[in-house]
Amino acid sequence: MGAITGMASDITFGGWEAVALIINAICARIFLNFPREVAEDAGTAGWLETVYFSILAFLLFYIIARLYARFNRKDILDIAGLAGGETGRIIGGLLLLGLILFAGALILREYTENMKIISLTDSPLGFVMMFFAVAMVAACFLGLEPIVRFIAVSVPIITAGLLFIVLMVAPYYDPTHLLPALGNGFYGIFGKGFFKLSTYSPLVYLFLIPPFLKDQKSFRRIGYTALGASALLLLISSLAYSLVYSYPTSLENFLPVFQLARLINYGRFFQRLESVFVLTFAISAMQYLGVILFFAVHVFKKTFRLEYHRPIILPFAVIMFSLAFVPSNLMTAIDLETKTYMTFAWSITFILPIIILLLARLRAAPGPLGAHPGGSPPTGGHLPESSPQGASATYRRRRSKGGGAL
Amino acid sequence: MNLLNTLKGLLIYKEPEPVEKFILRENDNEASLSNQTDNKQTDNKQQDQKENESDRGTKKLKRQDRGGGGEPPPISRMLQNNLDYIKERFSVPTNSDVMIREFNVIVGKKAIPAFMVYYDGMVDRIVVDTDILMPLMLLSNLDIKSGDARIDVYIRNHLLTHNQIKEVEEFDQVLGEVNFGGCGIFVDGMNTAFAADVKGFEHRTVERPNTEMVIQGPQEGFTETIRVNTALIRKKLKDENLIVEDHLVGERSKTPCSILYIKNLANDSLVAEVRRRLGSIKVDYVQDSGEIEQLIEDSTYITSPQMVSTERPDRVAAMLTEGRAAVIVHGSPFALVMPTTAFELIHSPEDSYLRVPYANLLRCIRTIAILVALLLPGLYMAITNFHQEMIPTGLLLSLEAAREKVPFPSIVEILIMEVSFELIREAGIRIPGTIGPTLGIIGALILGQAAVAASIVSPILIIIVAVTGLGSFAIPSYSYAYSFRILRFGYIVLGSVAGFLGLSLGIFLQGMLLVSSKSFGVPFFAPFAPRTAGLGDTLLQDPVWKRERRPDYLNPKDNFRQPKISRGWTRQNNGGDNRNGK
Repeated sequence: MGAITGMASDITFGGWEAVALIINAICARIFLNFPREVAEDAGTAGWLETVYFSILAFLLFYIIARLYARFNRKDILDIAGLAGGETGRIIGGLLLLGLILFAGALILREYTENMKIISLTDSPLGFVMMFFAVAMVAACFLGLEPIVRFIAVSVPIITAGLLFIVLMVAPYYDPTHLLPALGNGFYGIFGKGFFKLSTYSPLVYLFLIPPFLKDQKSFRRIGYTALGASALLLLISSLAYSLVYSYPTSLENFLPVFQLARLINYGRFFQRLESVFVLTFAISAMQYLGVILFFAVHVFKKTFRLEYHRPIILPFAVIMFSLAFVPSNLMTAIDLETKTYMTFAWSITFILPIIILLLARLRAAPGPLGAHPGGSPPTGGHLPESSPQGASATYRRRRSKGGGAL
Repeated sequence: MNLLNTLKGLLIYKEPEPVEKFILRENDNEASLSNQTDNKQTDNKQQDQKENESDRGTKKLKRQDRGGGGEPPPISRMLQNNLDYIKERFSVPTNSDVMIREFNVIVGKKAIPAFMVYYDGMVDRIVVDTDILMPLMLLSNLDIKSGDARIDVYIRNHLLTHNQIKEVEEFDQVLGEVNFGGCGIFVDGMNTAFAADVKGFEHRTVERPNTEMVIQGPQEGFTETIRVNTALIRKKLKDENLIVEDHLVGERSKTPCSILYIKNLANDSLVAEVRRRLGSIKVDYVQDSGEIEQLIEDSTYITSPQMVSTERPDRVAAMLTEGRAAVIVHGSPFALVMPTTAFELIHSPEDSYLRVPYANLLRCIRTIAILVALLLPGLYMAITNFHQEMIPTGLLLSLEAAREKVPFPSIVEILIMEVSFELIREAGIRIPGTIGPTLGIIGALILGQAAVAASIVSPILIIIVAVTGLGSFAIPSYSYAYSFRILRFGYIVLGSVAGFLGLSLGIFLQGMLLVSSKSFGVPFFAPFAPRTAGLGDTLLQDPVWKRERRPDYLNPKDNFRQPKISRGWTRQNNGGDNRNGK
């Protein structure tokens, strides 16, 4: 067991866990309003818009990955520290924290409202939200390692559930619904579509987990795999939605994937399977909210060099809970998301890291850089505390190295 | 006259005779014990020094207070000193089953006094008579050709014919042996003693395992005797690398426990950890492996067991060959095998003995059983209270018709039934065997016919509870089934307050707890979370010939248990010769 204790400061995620984490974070929007949002922008060419901004995301990530090459095992906050010292790290941390909290509060509100509408119509909003809040606080208390492990197990199941819905509504597919091929035109696809880059804003979590990844190569591979799988799922969902609903109808539907699930009707007995959707929807939401709260706390702790993260979990949960109540209703929350969040989130996700990386490369000496900028611990601080025997997360990695220690 | 006395007794007041009432009072010295402890330790040390300085042969040995931290004295060359000490330690003559037999041993032409001590009923009398006393008392008269000058060597080499004899230097070693059914032999002039293993206490014979019955496969189960159990495993695992390490647990019970592992297979750090945990236990009394399990498990409060508890030697042997460790406790017919994962707990020993299609069918059924035992009542609550649209119209109408006359809300209805079911289950275990069938009749009448006829519960609920019960009985691990029985109530509450959202919260929290748990350093949800190689024997089972690798998460010293081609006959070119199978 000494091996485990000894390895506690060397916690890394397996590649699959990290990929699943990012896929879940990006594709959680599928269960919200993503297919309808692209239909609103591009009309019948929503799927084309998805392809477009996914390619953009790939290109931007390619640049970031290239710039990251010298910063092995450092997260974006460490690099911000290299680029701008304490001030740089604090500014970068606060910007990231703002993005994460804003997204977290909006998503918490949207999930709650949607759940209330589809399942718990008579229950007060706070009551429904409490279930999500309990889940995210519990997840955060247990730590990142259980979260990523749970996600690694659940993502294939949730994906299978999504694909099941998409396949079961195949009889309703009508290819003519994709016409005209360019939908609302070039501006709709390529102009408005540019801001849909914010769909990939959960990629910021990838920039926060390099200390837990094996090496730069795996960082790049994880990024591309997660982006590719997410893009595929986003494309499938938007395409299926466009194929089933004609353009005018597609603008009116609330919770597009839920509406697709409602169409499933095989025989006299299996008529209303959409309730099963609630299970996958809720579990996906809970794990995503757990990730959000964890990284909000993580960023805050790391920005201000706090020693422990557990004491600030509940305050942050209360802040998210309170912020989620700020929009007066669901439509305001959706407006905030589509008009405000979508407008700026992409810049913090893609542009901010590029600026930080460029500055850091200019200021740092040539050659590969170590993993302890400004005295920061290599693991990003609190992960060992949250999972004291978490070395087993590295099983796969160590197994591949032929490590004999348990 | 009697009548007169009776009348007198009724009419005339008679002072009651004083009756001694018993009250359990604190010991006189108990209150001041803690204050005295420190002083006592100092006194003991001083006393030790004095005794060591004085002539040890002439001074009587005094028993030193063990609670005060003093060391027991060494064995004296003076037999009388040893006899006095043994009588004091064993509280002779108060302790009636302690036997002290004094006799003479003939060494050369000298008769040397000796005595032996044992517990009546714990030893095998025939062995004591024929292998200990007879050689010492009678055969010592024979003319033995020996050049051994020392008494102890002479006795050990020529007189004691018993096969399990130890020569020990401390009283505690003799006492330990006597307490566990052995006997101690002291001879005048020797500052050592002989401890002979002559156990002969009554014990259960090897029978069929009660909790892990199989149709196909071995039918032997463990007993309460540790050596029988280790022998049962050795009988199956004929490997000299199988190590049986003995430990004593419990300050008073001194319960013998054994750690079993295969030396060139089990991970050293795993064995060291089991040894460390077992060795660090400081308790007064341990009787069963269930107590040891609680003392060495990783987490007390998660509901799932973190070790396999089995009464089947074949299962322990099979798991040892995967690189695991096992703990056997004297007095318990259950062995503990560690580490384990959530998936192994739904495996049955029979799986390996059945053909793959049958075994996999059973595993699927068991998985369904777990889901049913855990979620069915909660699902019923969620669907009837929140998601009625999920129920097809025809079924919904019949359900509503059945529930129409029931006065309770569904949560009360289901709790009544579940609690009643648990009552029957508990009563069924406690009830004497002869009136057991009565319980079945009462249960069937109350839960079945009468409750429905009285409109206390609806018929559909009877089906739900019955199927849930069946599901929990189909789980092979008794402890694991308990886990689901407890959690089921949580899902009922969650399903009744928030429908599928509540169930989702339950699944999420339970999943998070499971993936964060470990069993002796191995993640409880391996090989899925974290992903490790070899998913062949988790939810489904690979054919025997395809199980080349041992479980990856165990990190054994040898990852392969068989060559890639384990069926040599499938290779026609070597005529079935598999000596070069790799």
